[in-house]
Amino acid sequence: MSSPSTSHETLLRVEDLRVEFHTDDGLVTAVRGVDWELRAGETLGVVGESGSGKSVTALALMGLIPQPPGKIVSGRAMYRGQDLLKMPSRALSDIRGNRIAMIFQDPMTALNPFLTVEDQLTEVTRRHMGLSAREATAHAIDMLEKVGIPSASKRVFEYPHQFSGGMRQRVMIAMALSCKPDILIADEPTTALDVTIQAQILELMKELQEQEGTAILMITHDLGVIANIAHRVQVMYAGRVVEKATVDELFANPRHPYTLGLLESAPRVDKLEAELRPIPGQPPDLSKLPGGCSFRPRCPFSIADCSRIDPPLVKSNSDGSYACLVNIDEAPRHDATSQISEELS
Amino acid sequence: MIRFLIRRAVWIVITLWLVYTLSFFLMLAVPGGPMSGERAYPPEIEKMRKDRFHLNDPWPVQYWYYLSNACRGDFLSSQVLNDYEVSEIISQGFPISATLGVLAMSMALILGLSAGIIAALWRNSLLDVFFRSLATIGIAVPNFILAGLAIMIFVFQLKWFPAAGWGKPIDMVLPSLCLAAPFAAYISRLTRTGMLDVLGQDYIRTAYAKGLMPSTVVLKHAVRGALLPVVSYLGPAVAGILTGSLVIERIFFLPGLGTHFIEAVTQRDYTTSLGIVMVSTALVLVMNTLVDVSYQLLDPRIKLK
Repeated sequence: MSSPSTSHETLLRVEDLRVEFHTDDGLVTAVRGVDWELRAGETLGVVGESGSGKSVTALALMGLIPQPPGKIVSGRAMYRGQDLLKMPSRALSDIRGNRIAMIFQDPMTALNPFLTVEDQLTEVTRRHMGLSAREATAHAIDMLEKVGIPSASKRVFEYPHQFSGGMRQRVMIAMALSCKPDILIADEPTTALDVTIQAQILELMKELQEQEGTAILMITHDLGVIANIAHRVQVMYAGRVVEKATVDELFANPRHPYTLGLLESAPRVDKLEAELRPIPGQPPDLSKLPGGCSFRPRCPFSIADCSRIDPPLVKSNSDGSYACLVNIDEAPRHDATSQISEELS
Repeated sequence: MIRFLIRRAVWIVITLWLVYTLSFFLMLAVPGGPMSGERAYPPEIEKMRKDRFHLNDPWPVQYWYYLSNACRGDFLSSQVLNDYEVSEIISQGFPISATLGVLAMSMALILGLSAGIIAALWRNSLLDVFFRSLATIGIAVPNFILAGLAIMIFVFQLKWFPAAGWGKPIDMVLPSLCLAAPFAAYISRLTRTGMLDVLGQDYIRTAYAKGLMPSTVVLKHAVRGALLPVVSYLGPAVAGILTGSLVIERIFFLPGLGTHFIEAVTQRDYTTSLGIVMVSTALVLVMNTLVDVSYQLLDPRIKLK
């Protein structure tokens, strides 16, 4: 993928975001102080396993964390001089769907089955752009054509169940881009789709990004998606960002053992002979995080200090940064599987 | 849709016939008859009275006689109130029972839906707990006890309502409230569960993510899905209100179908009781059909076949 195409201004800056959930099993810290920025026109990929805090980060920005049980403990999310996290809900809902839009993982359930596609598309533009009913319908048809839905002027009056999964995700994208947002948050938009449809949806998003200049926050667990669409990437583990890099740098020269683990466990066209190596063990229970680095129990490079120090993000030689005490290019590699079973016994 | 309605009509006719037949023979099987009063008549007079209603014929002949008349919509004259046709009795009682039933159903829907929606939106709040306890009581307490309590409190203590009678609008309030209570309670619980289910759906999150106002999200996106279980309950609720009104009419001395029915059954007035049974059955069947049709109107994914 190309390097960041632009040196544009920062659109959104997230600082020290912490989100907790009060559950029956105790306090779960889903996001533990993440900092990142999204620049105009770029695609920032966020990768990590389930429960690493990728989605929670995005939902927090949108004010969509149910509170309770969720609680945003600290942090700022600066967008055009305003802190999204402290905005009154009325003002935030003026931004949601308008300047910052979001699409979700499962297009089968993300659209309301009781309302026509037209209903669901026009309510956004009527709310945010103040269009009349007729203008909104015309705009909805335009948007459906733009996302490649054939005979849009007829299909706009149909219900979601009359569309296939890929078509529904196109409808979601049309809905999200209706008001020409600055930022599109895409939370695993291709996960529920089959592979050929995935590729089509990613192509569509890239195309629309070039036309509209929308910045995309792409949340996914799929490195293939990242390689395809992202300019910069941040890797999340157990509620923290453990590595940030440009997409080329991340794939060529991962600095964090977890990133390396992710890369080694995914098949790659450019390294067909390489053996797939899964990351041993399970992601940690967020209500009982180990002391020190939260990846240490699964890490093949861990050293004694790792159980004491939770490493901060430090700059790498290139543009990125990573949170690890060791240099994985030089450090000796040991067998993390036996390390886990030793600790369990 | 048309095919659905035709098929449904056929089933309604079959069901009506089954109900008629079953009721007819049940009535015959019950000891006593319309002519077994306290006074003993001379045998000739007894025979004449019975002949008028074909009661001396063998039962297949009787059955055929009554069924063929009923098919023409004629339930003949009352066997006890000699001067009245059954259709006259029904047309006198029906408007009263229908008013009572429609009022009760509307109250049940308005109270149940609003309580359910409020309880779901402010889940686990004091209001929610209050409505839920009220609903539990409403479902648990039988309507004759509720009506008795209501009369004691609102009629005799507070003197807000008249004890009985039918004519002024105020007469209708207490009976329809008592009749509505258990259904309002059940509808509020169905609505609450339905709302909570819908509010957890992805498409509600989408609606918020689009920047819609919370009121729009609830009224436009959530309520419709939450209504489905309530709508499917309306069929049984109509049947329940019909039977409930038997008791309520009796308690409040309302001259509705229910009161006539109880009179007719206790006096073994075969023609009148059969007539009322058939009207009620037809009503329930038609309401159930309407419910199924409205189900499709609410949920575009459902196609009736």
